[in-house]
Amino acid sequence: MTEKKNFIEHAKDGKILSHKCINCGYLSLATVYFCKKCGKRGFDDFVLDGQGKVGTYTIMTVPPTGFEKYTPYAWVIINLDNSDLRISGFLPNIQKSGDLPIGAAVKVVGFDDRGIVLKKL
Amino acid sequence: MEKVCVLGAGSTKYGKLEDSITDITLQASVDAIESAGIESKDIKAGYISNVFGVADKQVHLGPVVMSNLGISDRPSLSIESACGSGSVSFREAYANVAAGFYDVALVAGVEKVTHTGTEWTTTYFSYCSDFFYEGQSGVSFPGLFASMARAYMNEFKATEEDFAQVAVKNHDNGLLNPKAHLRKKITVDDVMSSAVVASPLKLYDCCPFSDGASSVILCNEKFAKDHGANYIEVMGSGRGGSSAALQGREHLTTIPSTKIAAEAAFKMAGITPKDVDFAEVHDCFTIAEIVDIEDLGFFEKGKGVEAVREGQTKLNGQISINSSGGLKSKGHPIGATGVGQIVEVFDQLTGKAGERTVKNAKIGLTQNFGATGASCAVHIFQSV
Repeated sequence: MTEKKNFIEHAKDGKILSHKCINCGYLSLATVYFCKKCGKRGFDDFVLDGQGKVGTYTIMTVPPTGFEKYTPYAWVIINLDNSDLRISGFLPNIQKSGDLPIGAAVKVVGFDDRGIVLKKL
Repeated sequence: MEKVCVLGAGSTKYGKLEDSITDITLQASVDAIESAGIESKDIKAGYISNVFGVADKQVHLGPVVMSNLGISDRPSLSIESACGSGSVSFREAYANVAAGFYDVALVAGVEKVTHTGTEWTTTYFSYCSDFFYEGQSGVSFPGLFASMARAYMNEFKATEEDFAQVAVKNHDNGLLNPKAHLRKKITVDDVMSSAVVASPLKLYDCCPFSDGASSVILCNEKFAKDHGANYIEVMGSGRGGSSAALQGREHLTTIPSTKIAAEAAFKMAGITPKDVDFAEVHDCFTIAEIVDIEDLGFFEKGKGVEAVREGQTKLNGQISINSSGGLKSKGHPIGATGVGQIVEVFDQLTGKAGERTVKNAKIGLTQNFGATGASCAVHIFQSV
């Protein structure tokens, strides 16, 4: 299984698969092949709860093909709890900015043809 | 390394164009050749940037352009680097002329997409993002920059009205540019009342999808001195990269590739941002221009929005930003944009900018990036 497929399987369970560099301990998403910090290859799997706080977001009203039926919806970048990593994804059923303040708690609930799917807690 | 000059420049009008992708590239290139006062046979290599040639049934544009210029035996390179394709193309030509491989090179950038419609362009442009993490989950480019805009508003207390000022200024400049796509005066109220595309960005915060082509002729200094009366010198050239996905960046209100490219270009040029008289920056969305002028070092982080509020970036303000109208008003034919910025600098520094002339300008800068700034090139030019 490629790392990307492995990452997707974890996201389907609401988890984010990350890699901890064996050499320097730096944490990356599992889709990265070399450590950004020290350049080495060689990681231990490190599974994070896909839970975090809204870092920023947009509410999409002019969607790309395939997303018309969900419009409006939010696309969100979240700061994952207990790490410096961020993850972005699709968050349905958001109409206006008051529905989703920066700092609101959000979690990963799946992965499908909309990529990473998020839910507001 | 040889000193490199820009000897000639040409551009089609930007907007909705009828002619084919090949024909508009040739129109701009013939104009650049005539502006340089050379013949096509003087060109030793071509660098042709384009992203969605597939939309107008022509990819591998390089040899098609060279063949129609009567120089089918010359090498060409067809370059795609999303919205930053044009400046990357220029950089490749610059590096090869500087290295002495060629004494004269053609750089041409082009895009022809308006006939495909908004849905096609919104969808296909999203393929320029890190699609696994971004496009796939339903975000468009307006959405990605809207996310940066909201982060900026949260961090620096900027408002949507502040962003609107950028659009108003660039439309004012575009009104003075006969080749601009959107030539109409707008107000802050017009921007605020335009349809929301991806909150907090509205239609008038966004550049248009445009057709258009721009070309320049580069050469070494000896060739320029022998052939040209009106040429400008390349002082600095820098490139940089950022995490392809926004989520991978430490800060969401800065574009690392711009900083890296600018640092390299300023170092090569031996100048500082204070020495720059005017700049063409990548204002694909109003927020982008504010981030750009901070990342380029013209204003401190978080202060770009004040500079816009105070009118410091207006034509003949403290530093003229996007005298051409920028992507916002001049238009954004994505493969051509980076080259078009250099055409504007050439026109400004050789006295061809007409009503939008930046007074007493000696040094101009261009900054053009791909996607959300995953790739960027910065160039600095001076009059001779």
